[in-house]
Amino acid sequence: KGLTPPVMAAPLEHENQVFLDLFHQDGLVICARGLGIDRILLRFLRLYCEPASLVLVLNTSPAEEEYFIDQLRSDGVVHLPRRVTNEITSNCRYEVYTQGGVLFATSRILVVDFLTDRIPSNLITGILVYKAHRIIESCQEAFILRLFRQKNKNGFIKAFTDNAIAFHTGFCHVERVMRNLFVRKLYLWPRFHIAVNSFLEKHKPEVVEIHVSMTPAMLTIQTSILDILNVCLRELKRYNPALEVEDLSLENAIGKPFDKTIRHYLDPLWHQLGAKTKSLVQDLKILRTLLQYLTQYDCVTFLNLVESLKATEKAFGQNSGWLFLDSSTSMFVNARARVYRISDDKISKKSKVSEKMDIKERKELKRELVLESNPKWEALREVLKEIESENKNSEDLGGPGQVLICASDDRTCAQLREYIIAGAEALLMRLYNKTFGKDERAGEEWIKDRKAVKSKGNARSDKGPQAKKAKVEASSKQNKIMKKQDLTLTQMMGKTEEENIEEEMEGYKELSSSEEISIEETKPEDFHLNLASDAYYGIFKTPLTIIHPLQGCSDPYALTRVLHEVEPRYVVLYDAELTFVRQLEIYKASKPGKPLRVYFLIYGGSTEEQRYLTVLRKEKEAFEKLIREKASMVIPEEREGRDETNLDLVRDSTSATVSTDTRKAGGQEQKSVQQTIIVDMREFRSELPSLIHRRGIDIEPVTLEVGDYILTPDICIERKSISDLIGSLNNGRLYSQCISMSRYYKRPILLIEFDPSKSFSLTSRGSLHQEISSNDITSKLTLLTLHFPRLRILWCPSPHATAELFEELKQNRSQPDAAIAMAITADSEIVPESDKYNPGSKDFLLKIPGVNAKNCHVLMNHIKSISELVTLSQDKLSEILGNAVNAKQLYDFIHKSYAEAISQGKTKR
Amino acid sequence: MPVSWPARVTAASSGSREGAVLGELPPGSEASTVPPAASGDSDPCPTLKPGAKSNCIIVSARQRGNPILKFVRNIPWEFGEIVPDYVLGQSTCALFLSLRYHNLNPNYIHERLQLLGKTYAVQVLLVQVDVKDPHQALKELAKMCILADCTLILAWSPEEAGRYLETYKAYEQKPADLLKEKVDQDFLSIVTDCLTSVKSVNKTDALSLLSTFGVSHLLPIRVQTGPCHC
Repeated sequence: KGLTPPVMAAPLEHENQVFLDLFHQDGLVICARGLGIDRILLRFLRLYCEPASLVLVLNTSPAEEEYFIDQLRSDGVVHLPRRVTNEITSNCRYEVYTQGGVLFATSRILVVDFLTDRIPSNLITGILVYKAHRIIESCQEAFILRLFRQKNKNGFIKAFTDNAIAFHTGFCHVERVMRNLFVRKLYLWPRFHIAVNSFLEKHKPEVVEIHVSMTPAMLTIQTSILDILNVCLRELKRYNPALEVEDLSLENAIGKPFDKTIRHYLDPLWHQLGAKTKSLVQDLKILRTLLQYLTQYDCVTFLNLVESLKATEKAFGQNSGWLFLDSSTSMFVNARARVYRISDDKISKKSKVSEKMDIKERKELKRELVLESNPKWEALREVLKEIESENKNSEDLGGPGQVLICASDDRTCAQLREYIIAGAEALLMRLYNKTFGKDERAGEEWIKDRKAVKSKGNARSDKGPQAKKAKVEASSKQNKIMKKQDLTLTQMMGKTEEENIEEEMEGYKELSSSEEISIEETKPEDFHLNLASDAYYGIFKTPLTIIHPLQGCSDPYALTRVLHEVEPRYVVLYDAELTFVRQLEIYKASKPGKPLRVYFLIYGGSTEEQRYLTVLRKEKEAFEKLIREKASMVIPEEREGRDETNLDLVRDSTSATVSTDTRKAGGQEQKSVQQTIIVDMREFRSELPSLIHRRGIDIEPVTLEVGDYILTPDICIERKSISDLIGSLNNGRLYSQCISMSRYYKRPILLIEFDPSKSFSLTSRGSLHQEISSNDITSKLTLLTLHFPRLRILWCPSPHATAELFEELKQNRSQPDAAIAMAITADSEIVPESDKYNPGSKDFLLKIPGVNAKNCHVLMNHIKSISELVTLSQDKLSEILGNAVNAKQLYDFIHKSYAEAISQGKTKR
Repeated sequence: MPVSWPARVTAASSGSREGAVLGELPPGSEASTVPPAASGDSDPCPTLKPGAKSNCIIVSARQRGNPILKFVRNIPWEFGEIVPDYVLGQSTCALFLSLRYHNLNPNYIHERLQLLGKTYAVQVLLVQVDVKDPHQALKELAKMCILADCTLILAWSPEEAGRYLETYKAYEQKPADLLKEKVDQDFLSIVTDCLTSVKSVNKTDALSLLSTFGVSHLLPIRVQTGPCHC
């Protein structure tokens, strides 16, 4: 292959400055999206890839780690970074740490290793935090940094992020992040930074912006949807006056993060909301999908979505009324008009009899296909033509240039490929046949007709065929298809972006292959080609023309890799995406002298354009806010925690240890004991251990068989989040956990922990049934407490509250012993008052048919051992159990032979 | 008359509580005004013992007027002379507490708990969360429940609280099968499940043991694997 391996381009001017600034003083770098935060991190990684230093990298995903390691390998780095995951056993980890170099470590493992001093903290050179904006939500990394600073005062902490918008919300967000990171410096690198701007200005790629205008039908549809959106937003505000008006503007509502914003506001009071509000939120989501489909895909796909919406509404009768608005009628009419029209004579007939006509008859009306082509497709064709003609006489540029076409998702890419190869008619026809019944005849005739039109030299599609009549499938079949569409619709709602369709394709070798691309089918298998990414669609071999999705690849760096491998001279942006546009700028700047032309296809005056501009504006605003905050920020000298004065590092040990003394008479010396809580290893995914540690209580991470937290020798706690609670009540896990807790601890406790960002409530309003239902979580909880009288329940609204409660529960009680807690297994000695019977035998007996919780103790009182059970007659058994049915079950079970059982089982089957 | 729900918060003065606990219970006359399930109102049982069998939830007269009683619809209830607020079965009782009331009279529940002692196996403290910021109060109640051997149950509405009362009574005799892991009901699954409850026996072992011996031969083996003091 003529592709050069990816070579790290020469560092750019502003990158040098970022690197040097951060190298000399620790800090947080916030850089504009797409401006190459990964390249900066990579430079630090390269610097520390040597055995003499030990550098930990936090918050990287496996795909990113792989990308970094690949890049470093191709740079010829010898001591490559390694990953510390649970594949490396705890015994070997110390060795791995002492070997030095750069380590990508799973946060949970690092927490445990810091707590148990398995990691030589004094040897750590420093920590690099990637995606640093997440430090507040993801508690483990902050915990690691705190543990690190407590034990190591000299190492560096350097943090990176390219998500400026994340700092836009909340009060003093950036300051809290910096506090958690223990850094004093904030480095801001927006795109409008003078150094960045002037540098990139020097290496500007040639940009051709093509504003495509939408067809009249599309425009009308867009206006209708926006109208409906507006109405829904107004309704939402009317029902929830507390919502902040600023965030609920129409401009925000069309953007992707809108769902998140609205959930952020509504989640805490979700249980109090009426059905109306909930369905409005859902509607807003649907409307946004509609807007996106309008510009993203073809007319058939859009109509399909619209029709299925209508069908869902009919089937379930639930919508908040927008389907009955005038605007929505106009939307339906125009969506249909883009695909077909009902021929004139029929229309007049229809109007005559329309009132009497039932649905079935209407279905049989003859349709005349229009199949409006996408304006962007035409534009793309023009662009490709231009490139082709330029490539023909490109000797002075060194042969024809490669072409890279980028579209937002995989589905678009597949469509574009089919369009370029087979043409608009074939694509739309195939889609039409697929979605609206197998109407072969209409299709064929339409094609024939189109050919005739074409041969006459008339390529315009809107002329359409002359009154070709086609029968549409009977209504029953139609309905079936509709149902199927409903299913796909709901799936699409959630995962349009992630829809990842891997096409095993060596298609670009066959120039005009007309193979069918199945769009709906997903093939998860990866097919490795010579290119680094496997999500692209090749079209032509010479010059290499490739379509690649902007989002939804399994490897986040797929596009970057392809860009560097293909080295295109022409890039066509079918969809605009900020990150990639910036990436192209950087790419151009890093390869000075190489020509690059970017075609920018965008629908003028569309929501698509608006969305792009909004993203740009938001980031700009976020940076402006950050600059203001930075100017007024007061950073304490001791922030970095390199001496003993940083209060964040001080563990609140006074209250934990001294409190026992306060009641003692003055002068009486009491030995203060360090408080300890034993925590199960698996619990380190939650925030709680970090909060407990912060309260000055020591944490001993061990693997516990019974319970999650051991507070005192008597108190054992099983922590359940709400979803865990429901799950474990249903699958029987909580029952067995309660059994073992009650067996080995005097005070077994179930802790129900709520998510602080969600509502503090177990059941939502109006969800109570008229009658007691055994499926309700409250019913199961009731039953659980009835069967475990000693089980206490704690209800905690947040992990913070839990930590506080733990501390108070420990007061004046003795410390737990990790060795004892760890050794508690099924064989251990049981708590005396829990049971005077042998638990093993009891479990065993309870599993035998005919024995239940009520008669079990009676039975155990009557027999000395289980072997005695065998000798008892059926009569004697029924006398003991007081129930002939149970006795017979028990007797039959004991005295059934294996052969009998097998034969019985067979006859049953 | 002491009340523990917000409707009469203003009327309740903390001073009169002690005297009112038993003294103000008017037996016959008021019982006849009880609307639903007042089957025994012609012959009210003022001497009802906590342990006596009954199909009804027994409600203390001090709970008269509590809105949660409106939501006890699936189970009959009647007033009776009892120490706790509700008797939900032979060994189950409940005290009701509205957080709004608790914030005004923090000592009330303490005294009630002391009066109750440890008479019942399951003593539920049913708390209705009806204040905006319940966390501090809930923390105190949680600690109190651990000391007083009470099961803390939170409800966020009178409906939910009423439902808990109903469920406790309705499930009084219900076995825990609902909470257990489901096991197939054919012979082999039961035997396997049974044998694997012995440590160091796995599923394959269970099957091979079973094919060699019958169940009656296997049970003595179980005895040898571990001490069994029935």
